[in-house]
Amino acid sequence: MNKSMWSFRLSTASLVLIPVAVGINYIGKTLASVLKLPLWLDAIGTMLASMLGGPIIGALSGAINNVIYGLTMDPISFIYGITSLFMGLVAGILAYKGWISSWSKAIIVGIAVGLTAVVISTPLNISFWGGQTGNLWGDALFALVMAKTKLVWFASFLDELVVDVPDKLITVLISYAIFRGLPNNLKQLYKSNNKIESLD
Amino acid sequence: MKALTLYEDRNTFIHHVHPINKLIYIFIIIVVPLILPLFPVLIAGIIMNTVLLLIANVFKKSLPIFGFVLLILLTVLIIQGLFHAENATPLFHLGPLLFYKEGFFYALQITLRVLNIVAAFMILVLTTKPSDLVETLVRKGLSPKIGYVLQSVFQIIPQMLSTMETISDAQRSRGMETEGNLFVRIKAFLPLLGPVVLNSLIQTRERAMALEVRGFSSLRHKTFLNEVKNYRYTTFIQFTLWLVLLAAIIWRVVL
Repeated sequence: MNKSMWSFRLSTASLVLIPVAVGINYIGKTLASVLKLPLWLDAIGTMLASMLGGPIIGALSGAINNVIYGLTMDPISFIYGITSLFMGLVAGILAYKGWISSWSKAIIVGIAVGLTAVVISTPLNISFWGGQTGNLWGDALFALVMAKTKLVWFASFLDELVVDVPDKLITVLISYAIFRGLPNNLKQLYKSNNKIESLD
Repeated sequence: MKALTLYEDRNTFIHHVHPINKLIYIFIIIVVPLILPLFPVLIAGIIMNTVLLLIANVFKKSLPIFGFVLLILLTVLIIQGLFHAENATPLFHLGPLLFYKEGFFYALQITLRVLNIVAAFMILVLTTKPSDLVETLVRKGLSPKIGYVLQSVFQIIPQMLSTMETISDAQRSRGMETEGNLFVRIKAFLPLLGPVVLNSLIQTRERAMALEVRGFSSLRHKTFLNEVKNYRYTTFIQFTLWLVLLAAIIWRVVL
């Protein structure tokens, strides 16, 4: 086990995990749109990086992911970098505390990551878009709640909740399925304070 | 392999502006309308961005991104126009729908603000080679390790995309369905993603070793392969940008 999950001595192996995580995010997102799935699934890499490398690597992967997206495709993703950062952090902490040992625990991790995304994104949505998420179904709900109650925060929170929690839950479950299938010598590679750093 | 960047290689004045100055410009474009929350200020910002995009000869290239943003902003305009919390004064009818003034102007402000910020980022993204930006940041004190991580993303993603295509072809030739109802498509997701992920994770081990033997974690001071590019009017532009910010603050305090 690591001495601490906050260890800042980033090993070379865990650093090269970050670009791969960003790549996996991108592949997941591309596949989801090629297969026309009704979800984004654009954080699988970040979740895997959190499970393999801990909270710091997870958070770095999330933030760098959005910086790269911002620089290449979609400037708005810069703003949501902070959401990705916290998702990586929360998933990493839970993974380190042993919450990825079974499917039922993985569901809890998924919901926790989803709620993190909701809590961080809602203020961003309100200050940037007036509360919407840009997702058709979520925004329809937003309009409905606004028409009935006029409570922007509540409407925006629900909008984000129905969009993000299912997406992040499934993202975490897919990541967990992949994580379970990884060979042990690969999982050991990213633990930063391990003796395996000699890279046989 | 498809390159993963919107960067357009042109030889214009904007392309020769120091990347740090473009970052400062984005900062100013975001902050000044917050200091002076007036419509004319936002509109001036948008006009300024448009002029710069035109000078850089990348305006056409930026249109698809604006199109996407405008589509979302249109829904903002509709929803806020109809349902904004402070709606009181009717503005106009559109069929059976009644739009209100407060929500409409709130949405208009959001629209202008978002367009302004997106346009400012587009100037950076379309006229700056990502590797130049990263190199500049490393020269300014960003850790070279993080610099490597950022640079390598641009190489890894095209590689992974071509791996993904190979694997999709392989799985299809084994008879896997990738079209049809939702359940069929969901079932296809993991067999397509799994091998790409495993493949690229196993490659990280080799990449880590290759980096190690080249002294990646050596504590010696790292030098640069490329010489510093010749950027134009760097000090003058930076001075002007900070002056604009100062003027905005003074205007706010005095008025």
